[in-house]
Amino acid sequence: MRARRGQVADARLTDFSAVTGVAAFTAWLGAALIVLADGRRGLALGLALVAAAFAVLAVADGDALAAVALLAGGGVAAVQRVRSGTNDWGLMPPGSTSRLVLVIAAGVIALWIATSVTTGADAPLRFAALAALGLLGARALTGRDPAVVLTAIAGMGLTVAMVAGLAETNPGLVPYIVAALITAGLSILPIGQTRGA
Amino acid sequence: MAPELAVALPAAGAVCAAALRARPRAAFSTGAILGLLGLAAIILTAPDHASDQLGLAMSMPAASRAVVIAAAASVALVVALAPPNVERSALLTWGLAGLAAMTAIAAVPSLDLVILIVLALAVLQAAATGGRSFAARMRAPALAVGLLALGIALARMQGPPSLARFAAVALVGGIGAALGTLPFIHEFDPDERTATSPIPWLVFLGPVIALAVVSRAHDLVPSAGGAFGAMLIGLGLLNVGWGSIASWATENGAAAWHYSFMADWGLALCGFGLALGDGQRAAILILFGILLNRWPLYIWSRQALREKTLHYRPVNLLAAAMLAGAAPFAGFAARVLLLRGATQLYWPLALVIGLGLLLWLPSSLRLGRSLGLPRGRAAVGVGIALAVSVAIGLYPQPILALAGL
Repeated sequence: MRARRGQVADARLTDFSAVTGVAAFTAWLGAALIVLADGRRGLALGLALVAAAFAVLAVADGDALAAVALLAGGGVAAVQRVRSGTNDWGLMPPGSTSRLVLVIAAGVIALWIATSVTTGADAPLRFAALAALGLLGARALTGRDPAVVLTAIAGMGLTVAMVAGLAETNPGLVPYIVAALITAGLSILPIGQTRGA
Repeated sequence: MAPELAVALPAAGAVCAAALRARPRAAFSTGAILGLLGLAAIILTAPDHASDQLGLAMSMPAASRAVVIAAAASVALVVALAPPNVERSALLTWGLAGLAAMTAIAAVPSLDLVILIVLALAVLQAAATGGRSFAARMRAPALAVGLLALGIALARMQGPPSLARFAAVALVGGIGAALGTLPFIHEFDPDERTATSPIPWLVFLGPVIALAVVSRAHDLVPSAGGAFGAMLIGLGLLNVGWGSIASWATENGAAAWHYSFMADWGLALCGFGLALGDGQRAAILILFGILLNRWPLYIWSRQALREKTLHYRPVNLLAAAMLAGAAPFAGFAARVLLLRGATQLYWPLALVIGLGLLLWLPSSLRLGRSLGLPRGRAAVGVGIALAVSVAIGLYPQPILALAGL
């Protein structure tokens, strides 16, 4: 009987690892979409995927309320993004080969660091945090359209909250709530006009 | 007094002043009252005393509290004696927002929250109307947030010892990018108004961000503490050289002031990197000099810079001496402490810093001259800045005691 219970627990653990693994790759995919898309739909879907993936990882870490906060913040930002901006997906416009290379390279390097260089149980979280940080940071640095930069910044806010989850001690709910508020707040912020150059 | 109140009052002042923008007098008086109450709350907040009223253990370290008090005094001085062509209510709004952010950064318990506050503030500043595009203004702060978050993430992962060194590199890079020092100089438009330019990052947010990271770095990367300090010193020396030479050689007067802030930050980074008592004391005095002397003089020099009027009156020479860190001004005490700390650590370093200090002279003469001939409120302000600098230079102990050093 005891052996059977152990098998069930192992199976659940394996399922959970598979879920967190899928969530981590979803976070990378979401960040990749934000890098590869210029249109509102692509950006909104990317942000929604990042938020959903981080929410799953937060649940796996035992923080259901943090997951709710991340989903709410990311959800509001994604909905706002889909309501404004250019009316298309804007996926991989001409000249975006370098972006595609960046997406693949960032994924491979983050995977290598998370699974080979570092040790410990949170490999999916490490991969998701590193990949999202690298991709969204690069997008924020290279983007020119305010909508693109704001989407990348919103994703970075969610990622910083996930980095708090890497700490040995429980960071509590505050970083997640603050990140969610910032992410949601960014989406409704009016951008001022530039004067001159 | 709770740190929460010290954050909330200036923030409420900034919001009220912004909401009453159409009625400048009401905006100014409301903002001033709430700002003064906020300053009182900051002064009455006991250093290192944790408060948990928001479910978050907030406390103000003594050094950060001292810097925030200096920033509040600086904002009060500049707003009270603002140049005639500057809208005081707008200056007060931005000053109070900066103070609220500084207090929050100083008081929150974790670097994650510091980064999130920096992110929010960067977007708010970049979203305001200004001379540069939103993307251009977000670039350096986004890099700072990314590097600091990467540094914290790497520091929290288990792995080979080199991982801690990479974390230290990212943290130092993050500090540099947040400040806008070499090699991450923020794009600078000389005609842009100060509030939306990179100057607030060097003057207001930079000191508290640097203190927040430096004070936690030894816990985050205990095995790479030496490398962290060495990189800070290296970055500091780079900025001492580049900032002082560029401040002298650049054609534009406003850009010369921008570079001079970077040069001062070079000394402060060297002080933080020394990880000795004298180094920390020197860094705090330099930050006080940036807040109470260099920034107010920059604000009062803006009109003369636009009119391109240059003067060689005694007041210009006195201002130049203060900016160069000559005796008996505050910069001199800071430089003596820095050289003493560097000698304790490794005497050739003191020699290099000493040679770097000589580079301040030509640029300071140029900046002093660019102040023009201060009249009216600006003359009073310059007099106060000079007097404060002399007082700190002659007897820095109260400032150092305030910073817990």
